[in-house]
Amino acid sequence: MNKIDVACIIDDDPIFIFGAKRMMELSDFCKSFMVFKNGQEAINNLKPIMISGEDVPDIILLDINMPIMDGWDFLDEFVKIESHKLITIYIVSSSIDPIDVNRAKRYKTISNYIIKPISTDTLKEILQLELAK
Amino acid sequence: MYITKAKTPDNKKVSLLEFIQKHSAMGTWEFDTKLLAITWSSETKKIHEVPSDYEPNIERALSFYKQGYSLDTITKLFNDCIEKHEEYDVEIQIITPSGEDKWVRAIGMPIIKDNKCIKVQGLFQDIDEKTKISKSLAYKEQQLRRTFETALVGMAIVDLEGNWIDVNRSLCNTFGYTKEEIEQLSFLDVTHPEDLRKDYKSMMSMMSGKIDHYETEKRYISKKGETIWTQLSTSIVRDDNGNPLHFVAQINDLTEIKKTSKKVSQLLATTEDQNKRLLNFAQIVSHNLRSHYGNLDMLLDIVKMDLPETTDNEIFPLICLAVSHLGETVENLNEVAAINIQKDLKTEPLNLLENFNRAYSSISALIIDSKTTISINIEPDIVVKAVPAYLDSILLNFLTNAVKYKKPSEPAKIEINTSTNNNFVVLEIRDYGQGIDLVKYGEKLFGMYKTFHKHEDSRGLGLFITKNQVEAIGGKIEVESEVNEGTTFYIYLKKHE
Repeated sequence: MNKIDVACIIDDDPIFIFGAKRMMELSDFCKSFMVFKNGQEAINNLKPIMISGEDVPDIILLDINMPIMDGWDFLDEFVKIESHKLITIYIVSSSIDPIDVNRAKRYKTISNYIIKPISTDTLKEILQLELAK
Repeated sequence: MYITKAKTPDNKKVSLLEFIQKHSAMGTWEFDTKLLAITWSSETKKIHEVPSDYEPNIERALSFYKQGYSLDTITKLFNDCIEKHEEYDVEIQIITPSGEDKWVRAIGMPIIKDNKCIKVQGLFQDIDEKTKISKSLAYKEQQLRRTFETALVGMAIVDLEGNWIDVNRSLCNTFGYTKEEIEQLSFLDVTHPEDLRKDYKSMMSMMSGKIDHYETEKRYISKKGETIWTQLSTSIVRDDNGNPLHFVAQINDLTEIKKTSKKVSQLLATTEDQNKRLLNFAQIVSHNLRSHYGNLDMLLDIVKMDLPETTDNEIFPLICLAVSHLGETVENLNEVAAINIQKDLKTEPLNLLENFNRAYSSISALIIDSKTTISINIEPDIVVKAVPAYLDSILLNFLTNAVKYKKPSEPAKIEINTSTNNNFVVLEIRDYGQGIDLVKYGEKLFGMYKTFHKHEDSRGLGLFITKNQVEAIGGKIEVESEVNEGTTFYIYLKKHE
C-alpha cells in the first residue's frame, strides 16, 4: 500500500477544496475523496459510514471556521461516534491565533495543526506518517 | 461741710478717697476759672505718669493729649464746658512722658454760680488696657468676618433646626441665591431629596454627641433647579458645658470636577469601544486575509504543476511575486496585531548582557562580512524585566539597523552603553552611520511602513514593531540623530529590582 484509501476534507471554502483535491491528485495522495462543506454535513454523513464500517476515511483534514457547525463542535460530536478504525485528524486552518493552536493541543484525536496554505510537501509528509502506521 | 460732721479724723477720710481712686484707676481734678489754676489728685498724676510733686497748669495739662483727634476733642469740650456749661465724658488718648499712647476716660462737670462757671470738676480714668483689648478683639472679629466673607469655599453657620444663621458670598454664588433669599430657607430646603435622609442622620449624630464632625459628598439644588455636587464638611460648636450651639459648614463646589470626570469616563468608554473594534479588525486581518492569501498561493502552486505551459511568460512570475509580497504583508500585520492583542504579557528577569550576546552572535556573519566594529559596554549584572521573545527581537532589530544603515563609504562602527534612570535601564545604541533627518522624518520614524533610506531590504516595519514591543513591556524609545553623523537610540527597559 502506497496510498491512503479515503481522505476526507471538511471545509466551507470551495477554492481550498478545489486546491486541496488537485494537490492530493498531483501528489498521488489517496484513492478517493470525501468532501463536506461544514461540520454538520460531515457528522450527518460520517455517522452511518462509521457504523457500517465501510469506506471509513483514513484521514480527515478539518477546517475550524465554518458556518452551521464549526471544527470544534464537529470534534465534540465526532468523538461520541464509536468506531473500530483509528482515524487521523489534521486541523487545517488559516488561523495563526495561539488560542486556536493551543485549543487543538487539548484534543487527543488531533494529530497536528497545519496552517494554510497546504503544499504538496506537507501532503507528502502526512502520507509518509500515515503509511508508516 | 459733711467733713466736719464726720466722726472719723480728716486724714483718714482722705486716705479712703485715695483708696477708692487707686483701685478704680480713677483720679480727680479741679480747675478754678478765676485763678486759672488746675489741681490733680495723686491718682490723676499717676495716670499721667508724673511725680507726686508735679505742678500742672492748663497748658501743661492740655499738652498731654495726643495731637489731632484727642487734643481737638478735649479742647472743644473743655471750652464748651466753661462757656456753655456742658458736661462731658469722653474716651481719648494721651501721650505719657515716656512717649506711650494711653487710653483715658475724661469726665468734666461745670460748677455754676450766678449763671457763671466758676469751677470745672472732673474725673480721670485709666482705661488703656480695657480699650486696647476691646480694640484688638474688634480687629480680630473683623479679620474673621473678612475671611469668612471672602473665602473661596462656601461657608455657613447653621442653627440646630437647620436654618442658616450666616452664609458667605461664595456659598451664595454656588447656590445662585442672594444672602437675603437663602436666609429665608433652611439647610434642608436646598438639599437634594435623595441626600436628605443621610444629612438628617448626621445632624442627629452630631447633636447627640456621637460624632463632632462629618465629611461627605452631597448634592444640593440651586435656585435654577440644577443639581450641585459638593464636598461638605460640617462640625458642631458647643458651649463650655458641652451643649450644642450651632453647626459650621464648609461647602466645596465639585460640579465642575464631576462634569470633567464624567467626560473622562465617556472618553474611556469610547476608547474601550475602539479597542474592541481594533481587536476585531486584528482578527479579521489574522484570519480572513490569511485565508485568501493561502488560496492564492496554493492555486499558483497547482498551476505550476498542472499547467506548466501557462507559466512560461512575463506575467506569471510577477503574479507569484505579488502574491508572495501579499503573504509578507499579512505576516507583518499579524505580528503587529499579535503585540497589540496580547493582554497579560509574562515578563521575566533577563540578564541584558547574556541576551545581547545571543542576539549579537546570531548576526555574527553579518558583522564579519560588513567589517563592522562594535564596542559593547554592558555591565554583566544588569537584569531587566522583559518578555524573552520581545527582548531578542528588540536587540536584533536595533543591531541589524545599526549595521544596515552605515555610511556607504565605510564599514559600520557601533557603540553599546548602558545607564540607569529611575526604574529604567537605558540601553544606548550609537552608530556612526547615515543618520536620519529627524526634523523631516521625526514624526514618522516609528510609523508603519516608513523607510528613510534606500536600502534593499528596508521594510519599514522593524522600528514600528520594535517600538510596540518595547512599549508592551513598559519601556520607551528615544532617538537622537544627525544626517551623516549617525544615530543614537536610547532604549528604556524596566529594571528588575
